[in-house]
Amino acid sequence: MSEAPGTPGVTPPPGDPTESRIGVDSWVAQAEGRRARRRGPARLLARGWEWSPDPVKLLLFVGLASTLPFWLNEGDLFNFGLFTLLYVALALGLNVVVGFAGLLDLGYVAFFGIGAYTYALLSSSHYGIHWPAEATIPISMAVAALAGLILGSASRRLLGDYLAIVTLFFLQAFAAFTNTANPTVHGVGLTGGPNGIANLDPLTFFGYKLNSTKQQYFFLVIVVAVVAAALHFINQSRTGRAFRALREDPLAAEVMSIPVNRLKLLAFVLGAAIAGLCGTIFAASFTAVTAGSFGVPLLILLYAIIILGGLGSIAGVILGGFVINISSQFLAPQNDHPDVKRWLFYGTIVLIVALMKPWYRAVLVLAATIAFGYAVHAIVSATTVATWTTGAPVAAGSRSIRDGIQGWVVMPHATATGPHVNFNTCLYIGLVVAAVTVRSLSGWWRLAALVPTLYLTAMVWENILAQNPSVTALILFGAMLIALMTVRPQGLLGTARVEIV
Amino acid sequence: MHLLLFNIIDQIRSLGWGGAFELLRNGIVLGSLYSLIALGYTMIYGILKLLNFAHGDVYMVGAFLGFGVLTAFGGALNPGIGLVPLIIIMFAVAMLGSGVLGVGIERFAYRPLRNAPRIAPLIAALGVSFFLENSAQLMTNGFQYNYDAFQLGGKNGNFGPLFDPVFTVAGNPVTVVQVLVVGSAVTLMAALIFLVSRTRLGKAMRATAFDQEAASMMGIDTDRVISSTFFIASVLAGAAGVMYGLYIGTTFYFMGFLAGLKAFTAAVVGGIGSIVGAMVAGVLVGLIESYAIGYVGGQWSDIVVFGILILFMIVRPTGLFGAQAIQKV
Amino acid sequence: MAEPQPSPESTQTKPLLELEGVWKSFGGLVVIDNLDLAVNENEIVSVIGPNGAGKTTLFNLITGIYPPDSGAIRLDGESLVGLPPHKIARRGAARTFQTLRLFLNMTVIENVMASQYGQTKVGIARAMLRTPGMRREEREIRARAEEKLAFFGERLMGYRWDQPAYSLSYANRRRLEIARAMATEPRILLLDEPAAGMNPSETHEITELIGKLRDDGGYTILVIEHDMHVVEGISDRVVALDHGVKIAEGTFEAVATNPRVVEAYLGTSAAVTK
Ligand SMILES: Nc1ncnc2c1ncn2[C@@H]1O[C@H](COP(=O)(O)OP(=O)(O)OP(=O)(O)O)[C@@H](O)[C@H]1O
Ligand SMILES: [Mg+2]
Repeated sequence: MSEAPGTPGVTPPPGDPTESRIGVDSWVAQAEGRRARRRGPARLLARGWEWSPDPVKLLLFVGLASTLPFWLNEGDLFNFGLFTLLYVALALGLNVVVGFAGLLDLGYVAFFGIGAYTYALLSSSHYGIHWPAEATIPISMAVAALAGLILGSASRRLLGDYLAIVTLFFLQAFAAFTNTANPTVHGVGLTGGPNGIANLDPLTFFGYKLNSTKQQYFFLVIVVAVVAAALHFINQSRTGRAFRALREDPLAAEVMSIPVNRLKLLAFVLGAAIAGLCGTIFAASFTAVTAGSFGVPLLILLYAIIILGGLGSIAGVILGGFVINISSQFLAPQNDHPDVKRWLFYGTIVLIVALMKPWYRAVLVLAATIAFGYAVHAIVSATTVATWTTGAPVAAGSRSIRDGIQGWVVMPHATATGPHVNFNTCLYIGLVVAAVTVRSLSGWWRLAALVPTLYLTAMVWENILAQNPSVTALILFGAMLIALMTVRPQGLLGTARVEIV
Repeated sequence: MHLLLFNIIDQIRSLGWGGAFELLRNGIVLGSLYSLIALGYTMIYGILKLLNFAHGDVYMVGAFLGFGVLTAFGGALNPGIGLVPLIIIMFAVAMLGSGVLGVGIERFAYRPLRNAPRIAPLIAALGVSFFLENSAQLMTNGFQYNYDAFQLGGKNGNFGPLFDPVFTVAGNPVTVVQVLVVGSAVTLMAALIFLVSRTRLGKAMRATAFDQEAASMMGIDTDRVISSTFFIASVLAGAAGVMYGLYIGTTFYFMGFLAGLKAFTAAVVGGIGSIVGAMVAGVLVGLIESYAIGYVGGQWSDIVVFGILILFMIVRPTGLFGAQAIQKV
Repeated sequence: MAEPQPSPESTQTKPLLELEGVWKSFGGLVVIDNLDLAVNENEIVSVIGPNGAGKTTLFNLITGIYPPDSGAIRLDGESLVGLPPHKIARRGAARTFQTLRLFLNMTVIENVMASQYGQTKVGIARAMLRTPGMRREEREIRARAEEKLAFFGERLMGYRWDQPAYSLSYANRRRLEIARAMATEPRILLLDEPAAGMNPSETHEITELIGKLRDDGGYTILVIEHDMHVVEGISDRVVALDHGVKIAEGTFEAVATNPRVVEAYLGTSAAVTK
């Protein structure tokens, strides 16, 4: 960070008439530096990250990622390791299109699907073709890239929003094709319809089979590292600069000798090829493809990753992938870790509150929330019929936590009829309204409103969300996209973009 | 490919004129729904240059609000009040609720992003859409709910009057509910045209759409105009939701996605920003879909519709009624 | 490519940039009306005219942002009509924008490096592998960018290279736009109101800079300018436009005193009373 001019001769002598006093750019530059200055361990971390050279960052990732198989069991490695890396790789490809080139591509997941189906057709008993991975991977990538080329060249002249809608149609058409159309080829439905294609071969390189999750995981570590490095090099090359230029101002870029249409196409094709690669790995590790895997939810998940991480930042995408996948896996119904789920949820909330400055406000709010909860609970159980507070937390967990929650959160006894039927709906809408209210208040009013809102959040979590964790994950991603866009559009590791007119 | 073509021709022959009319009728009714939703897209796009992905979900919420009213009055079988007041209340609640929702979305998700890069509000819109859809899934437990409108107004378990034929063309009945849908759609559109072309608010809307900065300098409260636009757009979508419920019946949390997608294309085909264009193109999309279902087959219909729409957008992105967008340098 | 050098034999015989009978209208409004224009190698030609005269449109036609309705535009004898803007930039016509269009969120030096895309070659395969050739080209790009920025004295040097373009002052943004245009290695520079919004001393500086661009940089320059002091100070020749029609051409003195020009600027009555 340039906090002071490097060359002493640059600062003009006082009274130099050629330098205007207001908006002096060296001052602006210093302001940037001032703003970037942080305190405490966060600063050390940020500094360390900034100063470490890029290969070190990559090694750090590979090193950390390689330890996972040694402390996770097979199932957890599949959910938390393999899927994280798969999403990271996918998001890296999406980041080329959205982050580097600034094109809103909503059909990206279709290329992933194309890669997966290509692999499924070429390495399964569906048509009795069992080609090895050294053939199918390039073919899948090529097929996906070709699809990207076709879609891209068809829509390369379209402006931002039209591009978004055409690509979304493409995804929709792909979904309809694989799911319902399923044309018959050689006596078999090409895509297998809603059932998809099962019993795929594992990835086989020159006769060496990647059978276990561990092998597949290490293969993915290599893939992610290679893809990240390659994209990093592209980003630093003249092509990367051209991408950034066209993202900033396509017309100016074109006039400055940058072939904008060709580069947009290149971004599409690159992204599609990476998606195709991920498709093969996904299909082979999952040993099946079904049409339902390639829909809007996955698309939103990927957008959540690249936006949380910071558009255009490769390290950010990797970090975002870890955060998003791990939290969504904990919320997935098949991974039953009720305590972890709860810690994750309350932990995130406490963390967000703790970001508030100064720190004693955060403490105040948390303490007030706890007190508020006990008060409400006491009032409700004293004044109403017993069924209002006799409910038990569904995500059970250990005894003490369970009892603690039960004594603090108002939880009606679950009955199909009676006074509590619409309780959940009202609760949920109440929370949304409360959250929105907090957002529009300021100062002490905001703090005051935050207390009941936090308590409502806990109520909603214990009464509704914990019972529908997979839907909850989707809701949270949606909410996160909105919140990030309005509060911190640069994500965790991206740089803030400034638009000055 | 040849085979497909022959199939289509066969299908056209076997359905005959009666079938052709039936598809025309279905297309027009469906198309009026698309028109109403498309109007919202076109108005919002016209004023904010924002593709409001969440608009289709506002329509879904409208359908559920209507259903909520129906349930609150005792369900389709034995509602506590007469048929006409019931339908009026359903429309009123759904339209008002959707309108408030639309204003809320604009206020909290889009307004903070007025000066952000173009991609930011689009992503926020994606988030809003996803949020609404899944919230609805949560609250409806992912089930489909049916209006069962054919029972409305019927006594002792008999069918009600909504699906009685009003008149018949080429052996095909046109039912009360179809007349109701098209009739109220036309009424709403007429009201909208009056509002935009004749009232002060309409004038302010047009001015804001043309140049927001200039409009605000001329003393127009552009924030309020934008809010009103969202309100009106969402009211129309809410009405469309109830119409869908009465006519087709099954409401579920994902219904806004596809309908919204098609309606947005209708807005594009009609020339984004053009109100008449959205109306005409909405019906056009409905017709395309209806004929695709009838002649090509239900499983291909979405592919046909999307294929035609993609082609159209690529060949003529300014739409039927739109003017060439100019970019001054 | 090295710096473009004026080739002695072409200066007399053939103009570098040549427009013949160019028309352009926007929906019935004729903005460029049968315009002929020639700019010789190593010459500085100013285009003047009241607001809306069609000056910027002239630049847009030359750089391919719009195609002309009819007429010929040639650079060094080769037609530019129908080429996309990036190809025209490669042929050697670079411009600045009246309303600045920098890549604001890129650093100063990146702005200048980005516009060398057209004359560099390394594709993504070599970039991914970071071959020695790629690294050499990258060093050359940077060196050229530094060289272009050095043209502006201390203004855009040193620590400013790595600052985002949005942190620059207005005058420095104008300078950076010129540097960015220079980096496409053009034969002709089209400057759209380079002194707009500058204070008197900055204006003076830009006047000297334009002369230096021709003398030291070897560029041919076509410049749009409203400030008559600048026009007087730099022009070999002045062309006056009004409603897309060329109403006068010649030395600054001749054009500035031409009654039609005075009329265009001040309105009919002023011309009559004079
Ligand atoms: N893309 C366009 N579409 C329609 N009209 C245009 C377009 N570009 C320019 N014009 C019109 O052409 C005329 C000439 O504009 P131009 O920008 O060339 O003027 P100018 O001489 O550069 O003026 P100024 O000195 O204000 O920069 C103006 O009336 C302008 O409104
Ligand atoms: Mg101009």
